[in-house]
Amino acid sequence: MAERLVAVANADGLHARPAALFVKAVTEAGIAVTIGKAGAAGGADARSILAVLALDVRHGDQVVLRADGDGADDALDRLAALLADANV
Amino acid sequence: MTVNAPLSGTVVALADVPDPVFAGALVGPGVAIEPDAGATLVCAPIAGTLVKVKPHAFVVLDDSGRGVLVHLGIDTVKRNGAGFQVLATEGSQVAAGDKVISWDPVAIRDAGLSAVCPVVALDATAISDPASGTVASGDAIFSWA
Repeated sequence: MAERLVAVANADGLHARPAALFVKAVTEAGIAVTIGKAGAAGGADARSILAVLALDVRHGDQVVLRADGDGADDALDRLAALLADANV
Repeated sequence: MTVNAPLSGTVVALADVPDPVFAGALVGPGVAIEPDAGATLVCAPIAGTLVKVKPHAFVVLDDSGRGVLVHLGIDTVKRNGAGFQVLATEGSQVAAGDKVISWDPVAIRDAGLSAVCPVVALDATAISDPASGTVASGDAIFSWA
């Protein structure tokens, strides 16, 4: 299981626009990824915009991304970079 | 499932909304409503649980797990709630048509923002029967099979 911890940089948190771009990137990665707030149990399906919006991730919140299998590390690196980019 | 207009106005295709993420259906399929000047009351588009309420947007989840997002205006997250009043409680059960938020679309336009409201079927592949023209709050605006 690959894991990344990242602080969400967007000033408005993971609101509709960055959430949709994140979900698009997860879908394009083609592997199952979960996202959860750091310290919380489990994680939501990062391919679901509903699940990501329901997490209500604020600016500065730390989230944990998890994925398994071939390409998981590369995919998580790209996804973490997306969340760490304040301009997305 | 029929999804109703959360407020009165004129239906606009999502593709015509001035935000590439909504317009490209990246948030999901749906329609948008350009609100009437007097459309200050925003209501639940479907029955379900109000799983998330922000001053400028909310999501209602029906009991089959489908969520509909209503987003009041474009880039209105930047208002930090100014000009919006939340009337319902996050986590509560709502009937279609129950009031959720009160706002002033004219004030949003005066602030230089678009007041157009995307209504989106989250995680849906497609919607059907999109409405066109003017709608009153509560009128059907699309179907989600």
